[in-house]
Amino acid sequence: METIKGRNNIGVKADVKHKNRNIFTLKNIVITLLLVYFAVFLIYPIGMAFVGSFYNWNPLNGTFDFNGIKNYIDVLGDKLFWTSMSNTMIFSIIVIVCRILVGLLLALALFSKLARFKTAFRTIYYMPTITPLVAVSFVWVWLYNPQFGLINDLLGVDINWLKNKDTALGSVMFMTTWKDFGYATIIYLASLMSLPDDCFEAADIDGASGWNKFWYITWPLLKPTTILVAVTSLITYLQSYIQILVMTQGGPGTSTYTISYLIFDEAFVNYKFGTASAMSVILFIFISLLTLISFKLTKERS
Amino acid sequence: MLHKVKVTLFNLLLLFFSFITVFPFVWMLVSSFKSNSEIVKIDGSFWPEHFSLSNYLNVQENFHFMTMFFNTLLIATVVTVCIIYTSSIVGFVLSKYKFKGRDQLFGLILATMMIPWAVTIIPKYDMMMKFGWIDSYAALIVPSLVSGFGIFLMRQNIMTIPDEVIEAARIDGASEYYIFHRIIMPMSRNAISSIAIFQFLWVWEDYLWPYLVINTDTKQMISVGLAMFNGQYSTDYGGLFAATAISIIPVIIVYIIFQKRFMEGIAGASVKG
Repeated sequence: METIKGRNNIGVKADVKHKNRNIFTLKNIVITLLLVYFAVFLIYPIGMAFVGSFYNWNPLNGTFDFNGIKNYIDVLGDKLFWTSMSNTMIFSIIVIVCRILVGLLLALALFSKLARFKTAFRTIYYMPTITPLVAVSFVWVWLYNPQFGLINDLLGVDINWLKNKDTALGSVMFMTTWKDFGYATIIYLASLMSLPDDCFEAADIDGASGWNKFWYITWPLLKPTTILVAVTSLITYLQSYIQILVMTQGGPGTSTYTISYLIFDEAFVNYKFGTASAMSVILFIFISLLTLISFKLTKERS
Repeated sequence: MLHKVKVTLFNLLLLFFSFITVFPFVWMLVSSFKSNSEIVKIDGSFWPEHFSLSNYLNVQENFHFMTMFFNTLLIATVVTVCIIYTSSIVGFVLSKYKFKGRDQLFGLILATMMIPWAVTIIPKYDMMMKFGWIDSYAALIVPSLVSGFGIFLMRQNIMTIPDEVIEAARIDGASEYYIFHRIIMPMSRNAISSIAIFQFLWVWEDYLWPYLVINTDTKQMISVGLAMFNGQYSTDYGGLFAATAISIIPVIIVYIIFQKRFMEGIAGASVKG
């Protein structure tokens, strides 16, 4: 009996070894296909964007001529580029702050013992986040419409929100906050629920006030969540263009141009692929730097 | 008594925010049953005077909007199924096999989520022209077969499956393919359904890529269709409200049915990450 068992074991081992020698294992096939796929649809396009940013590139007439750093000089000397950059920064920072504030406030409210119908409220708050942005942007164009839109009716004012230089960007930011705060609410709520109960119990025993409890216990414990929301929002908002495309087309004038809308415009309206690539390379470096900095800050703090 | 007042006021505040959240959708849906002249009428009422379905009928008749709806349904389903498979198998390899460069590869996959669309879209569009894929569904499907988010979620999930399960199957003589398809996949049902829901929505709302690569109206996706409709019939508000409702309401229905999964999906992705 024992010898047979031993032989069997050896047999199994030999089999495993044989399998490892076979190069067509599941692991090898998957990794090879993945690398090929990444090479074609990721590495090559990124490389091509870098290369193309040094070319005068127009796909319509087939131009592809090297012109050194001229695209970068053009872009950096273009006033619209800087307007778009500053609009993008204003847009991103304000929407991120509002998203975090509203999201956190409602998460704390839903976490509180006073709240009823928690699941229903949670479901409702997250609803705008899952709806398609193009369609939702249209709904808001009509809500802002001075003739039949409801916003003017509700506020009792007469403002052409999206056609006025002073209100257009703010109106788009309001709509974006409305659409996205639910994501922050859900993420904050999930991390509030995963916080250890004993911190709060200790604070209750010490008789800490609600505000102190929030400021000295909850807020520091939620820091990783805040950074997660801030970084993912930053990456998203630096690339926002759909709401601009649908609601204002960058106007009135250039007051709502964002950098991604400018890239879209330059590439697929003017077909200047070279300058658009130069802009996208600048945006890429900008996003990478900001992400790197925020992760460095997190690591140092913790 | 005081407590009751407090609870009521508190929940009224929550209700107020819910109202702001839901109101635009209700307004859109209600308006889609009004005639165009009633929508643009100054001081018109909130509810339609004459409830009519004609906006919905016209949208399909004049514009093939439902054709675009079903195109999108088809492409979203195909892409979602493919992404589920690629994400699971890559997630399995990255979490249950040890090999040189594994962590670097995972790092690369995470980094792909940070790359702005603006960087890769021009060369990808150029590539589609060279492949001759413009105006074909290959251009919508092939470049979106792999998702960094999907791989990330599946890897995190499959890591929680104990190695002993796999070892036991190996000793029983199961092949790696069997282990993946018959053990790992069924055990990852929750993560798979989260990916399915999100991926489906992303295809559903994608605008720029179909706008660039699809030229024939009857092959078009729904988000682009909506923008085209607005371009051609910009004053037919009734039709526009109906078209918008068609692209939003099904999403909301699916969301309400699966809302628990949604919450688990995003909360899981963030807390584990």
